[in-house]
Amino acid sequence: MDAFYIILTATLFAISCGLLGCFLILRKMAMVGDAISHAVLPGIVIAFLLTGTRDSFEMILGAALIGIFSTFLIEFFHHKARLQTDAAIGVTFTWLFALGVILISVFAGQVDLDQECVLYGEIAYVPIDLWIGDNGTIFGPRALYVAAMTLIVNVAFIRIGFKQLHLTTFDPAFAATIGVSVSLWNYLLMGAVSMTTVAAFDSVGAILVVALLVGPAAIAYLLTDRFQTMMIITVFVAIVSSALGYYLAVWVDGSIAGAIVTIIGILFGITFLFSPGHGVLMKKRLQRKEAQRLKTEAPLS
Amino acid sequence: MIKPLHIALLAVLILLGCQPKASRKTVGKLNVVTTTGMIADVVKNVGKDSVTVTALMGPGVDPHLYKATQGDLARLQQADIIFYNGLHLEGKMGEVFEKLERIKTVIPVARGIEKNLLLDSPVYQGTYDPHIWFDVSLWSQTIVEVTNTLIEARPENRDYFIANAEALRRQFAELHEWVTEQIQTIPPTKRIMITAHDAFSYFGRAYGLEVRGLQGISTLSEFGLKDRVDLINFIVEKQINAVFVETSVSEKNIKAIVEGCEQKGHEVKIGGSLFSDAMGAAGTPEGTYLGMVRANVKTIVEALK
Repeated sequence: MDAFYIILTATLFAISCGLLGCFLILRKMAMVGDAISHAVLPGIVIAFLLTGTRDSFEMILGAALIGIFSTFLIEFFHHKARLQTDAAIGVTFTWLFALGVILISVFAGQVDLDQECVLYGEIAYVPIDLWIGDNGTIFGPRALYVAAMTLIVNVAFIRIGFKQLHLTTFDPAFAATIGVSVSLWNYLLMGAVSMTTVAAFDSVGAILVVALLVGPAAIAYLLTDRFQTMMIITVFVAIVSSALGYYLAVWVDGSIAGAIVTIIGILFGITFLFSPGHGVLMKKRLQRKEAQRLKTEAPLS
Repeated sequence: MIKPLHIALLAVLILLGCQPKASRKTVGKLNVVTTTGMIADVVKNVGKDSVTVTALMGPGVDPHLYKATQGDLARLQQADIIFYNGLHLEGKMGEVFEKLERIKTVIPVARGIEKNLLLDSPVYQGTYDPHIWFDVSLWSQTIVEVTNTLIEARPENRDYFIANAEALRRQFAELHEWVTEQIQTIPPTKRIMITAHDAFSYFGRAYGLEVRGLQGISTLSEFGLKDRVDLINFIVEKQINAVFVETSVSEKNIKAIVEGCEQKGHEVKIGGSLFSDAMGAAGTPEGTYLGMVRANVKTIVEALK
């Protein structure tokens, strides 16, 4: 049962992150997950300074608010200051992280307080981190409910807003001319991203989330040129890597998150080499064929 | 996009009806899992041959940065009893344990210690320093909690556990006295300990040393340039001849302090490596709690004398 709980939780988060990742990659914002993982630090510190507790709920709330704030800042710098997205992301998260470090040094140096120990969860604990009712009924792993809720919200959001998200991703200028607000849908997408990442940080840890946002979508990107197909492949990769990763972790008795990310990396490497359209080897072969053709045809001409 | 999602959601719905299996009845040895090696040592000494003890965090592991493996989960699931330190030493893992207490025997050993003996943060009430094992008399109080828990699980071994606990308590009392004597051999003006991170506050309070950590308790609280300069001036002024590194914390920062003192013309050496958050390798003398404390005290006394 443990294996099932862990793989299912990982899969649900992987699908949420993967679907959002498809949009992020095409908007050149794939590293926003990594940015949020650092930027939440001041949120945690401020939440602690205000409430004086290090319980999960307060920490998640602080992290989520700062997460949304940081995505807003990124959007703001990108649009108002005309900064490239990568520079906007870089400036925002380093600044917020630094703010957090200073806050800790000044106010809370004697308290063990950082993302590692108060926010980031560990996927190995999913089966024992149970939701227990007041009368002692066990409802199953807490993270599984969080993962399922996150996925439902994300799928609903993408289904309802698919046309607008699609349009603002591929052709923002056209979207604007037909009256679709580019910045509104940007903010909505970023809000969904920060909600998803913070929920996932709490349940399965940070590295996994960052990798899930980028990896499966990047693999799918190499395999297809159609957006819908890309989303389907992403979901497929998310499921496969969660399951394979879990069994890799069993085999080496290692960190589950680490193993899943390793599998994603290996899958990406294979795709990078062998993808029919974008793969390095396939391109080489096409070039060789082309050269051969020219050589054999040359004497005739 | 739709099909895999439907399957996943369906799986969730099926799961909602499921409940974990009831914990199986165990016969023979009690299977105990602890987080740190220090707790494992207490349990081993009280339970002796009636328990098998596994510590999740091995030698040299920083509990603040510990990451569980797939095997750890299995070990936790199969354990009859889980002991952990508490006081937020285990971070989020501690929160999971707190909830698990309702359906399994999960005991924070720090629970047995009176609150007024714990070092509270001066600013934030209730955020205690978790490094309780450095004060031997304080750590001795955890024996009670461990013994009671074992008796509850194996009432028929009651006398055996109590005898073992009594023996261990005597050993701890002897050790406490020995440490006190050893520290007394350091000249009073030299009783100042500089360490990499703030793990030795209980040790300092119990045995009359002034303790200064370069780093705060959190691994993220990088100290500012001014703190560094202050510490260097402090060392030069008090003519301290040794600073200490720890087995589970990077020694980079403390080395910077040594260099800073040299530039001011005061020679300070690295007095040796202390066991702070983890014990030594199993099988070596430092692999037990008693051996670890002895090794630390020897290092400290030799360096500061």
